[in-house]
Amino acid sequence: MTTAQPDVSKWPFQSVLVANRGEIAVRVLRTVQKLGLKGIVVYHAADRGTAAVKMADQAIEITGPTPVASYLDGAQIIAAAQASGAGAIHPGYGFLSENKGFCAAVEAAGIRFIGPTPEQIDLMGDKVRARNFVEKAGFPVAPSAIEDDDPKTFVERSRKVGAPLLIKPSAGGGGKGMRIVRDLTLLEQEIERGRSEGQRYFGDGRLYCERYIENPRHIEVQVLGDGQGSVVHVFERECSVQRRFQKIVEETPSPALDAALREKICETAAGIARSLNYRNAGTVEFIFGQGGEFYFLEMNTRLQVEHPVTEEITGIDLVLQQLRVAAGEKLGYGQADVKSSGHSIEFRIYAEDAARGYTPTTGPILVLHPPQGEGVRWDSGVLQGGEVTSAFDPMIAKLIIRGSDRNDAIARADKALRETVLLGCKTNTAFLRRLLQHPAFVAGDVHTGFLDANPQIAAEPEMPAETLQALLGAAALSTRPMRDVADAVPDMHAAMGGWRN
Amino acid sequence: MHHAFKLGDAEHNLELSRSASAYRLHLGEQVVDVDLKTGADGRAWLTLGERHIEVVIATRGDDVFVHLDGEAYQLRYQHPLDRLAAQAGGSAEDHIRAPMPGSIVSVSVKAGDAVAKGQTLLVMESMKMETTIAAPRDGTVAAVTYEKGQTFDRDALLLSLEPMEKKS
Repeated sequence: MTTAQPDVSKWPFQSVLVANRGEIAVRVLRTVQKLGLKGIVVYHAADRGTAAVKMADQAIEITGPTPVASYLDGAQIIAAAQASGAGAIHPGYGFLSENKGFCAAVEAAGIRFIGPTPEQIDLMGDKVRARNFVEKAGFPVAPSAIEDDDPKTFVERSRKVGAPLLIKPSAGGGGKGMRIVRDLTLLEQEIERGRSEGQRYFGDGRLYCERYIENPRHIEVQVLGDGQGSVVHVFERECSVQRRFQKIVEETPSPALDAALREKICETAAGIARSLNYRNAGTVEFIFGQGGEFYFLEMNTRLQVEHPVTEEITGIDLVLQQLRVAAGEKLGYGQADVKSSGHSIEFRIYAEDAARGYTPTTGPILVLHPPQGEGVRWDSGVLQGGEVTSAFDPMIAKLIIRGSDRNDAIARADKALRETVLLGCKTNTAFLRRLLQHPAFVAGDVHTGFLDANPQIAAEPEMPAETLQALLGAAALSTRPMRDVADAVPDMHAAMGGWRN
Repeated sequence: MHHAFKLGDAEHNLELSRSASAYRLHLGEQVVDVDLKTGADGRAWLTLGERHIEVVIATRGDDVFVHLDGEAYQLRYQHPLDRLAAQAGGSAEDHIRAPMPGSIVSVSVKAGDAVAKGQTLLVMESMKMETTIAAPRDGTVAAVTYEKGQTFDRDALLLSLEPMEKKS
């Protein structure tokens, strides 16, 4: 879809402050500046040399007890916006993007918040209220039974949810005290054991039960709403490849959906957004069972990390749509106008060591040659000469690939990952190449537990003898003390050196 | 003169000498002709025997970073004097270093404690994630460097074990 360039001279703001850092600050600034608006960023000293600060028309330093704390200091950021005359604030993702208090304070200061209303943030930020809202509106949520609703009938209500069941402590977290029940004759016994574990771990024996989805996929749907009655979906994203409950590869279209199921899940998401009269770009996340059943998980009321794959297949600039809506414009197009073609996959480039449990790494960025070519997009906030520190999240870039179909995108991705040169800090690019060559990934047959079930993908493969020779040769020739020793021996002796051993 | 590089957990001994036209790499019994020509953009051509391989190389202190055949590697030059000192002072297993920057969540042992291989020595935290540091072998704790709550950089010495007694 191609939308006409908006006439920003009529907008209520002519400058936008980005209350974020890294690649997303760069991403937002790109659209802001393309429109001819002034782009402002706030930054902590740790980010002084980063791409966003260099690119912005104005950069304002903020301080805090830690670098992260400075980006969470709403009052300081609003003060920076007022000092710079910013007419709107874009929160990016993370940090203050889903903070109702910040959103309300921004609007109270007479500045446009590029996001939803405070009420929408509040509702979707509370998992139980969000679930109840969605259920009441007539959309699918995972069948469940909450003990607190009526303790006397808990066992009976749990039985009605049906097997397989997951029992969770109400006060729980981190998987502790959770029990899977596949045989309902064991239900009461398992509830008692779950209660005693909850009591032991959390000092609270209250429980709830929900339908357990075996090997689920994570499928989410991009929505856009103008808060003036118009909502469209912008298709789905498949985000099932995860490690430590965090997405690392996202793609669209999802290989799990046929046309009918795609329409059903996308329309469900649009319906949920419509029932909120949603304003802003947002994402409705679903848990998707192997049998094609899906349930509402949560709604993120902000731009997602993985938004670029949607942009690549639809040609819609999602940041531009956020800005238009915040400026009071109507969407101005309907569902039939939103079309997609081709396939797009995003790879999150992390500073981490996959073979050591995906632990973060740090280091200088001595050399950075981003990949190039048709269908290759590199969204990054780091520059050669910069440094990856432990102050922030270890994501350093996103590689977004577009292809005519999924196989084409995979082939282009492999080439682009191969050509990505980043020296000074270990990254996951080699791991990502092993992942995309795995038969299950090639077949599109993955679920959220896929990487845990296949730890060999993360393991460092054995190094061929020739590779080791090449590395040692390159290292020896690049190390001054070794060259000096070699050069100190006259050529005559060197010629004989071959026989010395 | 013996030189060595550390690559991952393994240490590789090697020597470099001149050949009539360039250099020779000595790896144990193997001798390979090598050369390296670097262009302005950091891309370089490595000659290895008959092969010519495109590489990108960056160095920082004793670290050599190499991008080869689509992957990045890090090698660390081991100074001969440091290696001698390390040999005199016991094996690398005696010194437990931080695998990544972070802070100490808890310390389970103190100097003088006897520990068994695999036993938890301390728990560290990095980027909201806890990592357990376990004893690499049976032994006695010589010293603990940090207390709960203190922060450290990667490769900081967290804890050391008494050197193993030499077999006579």
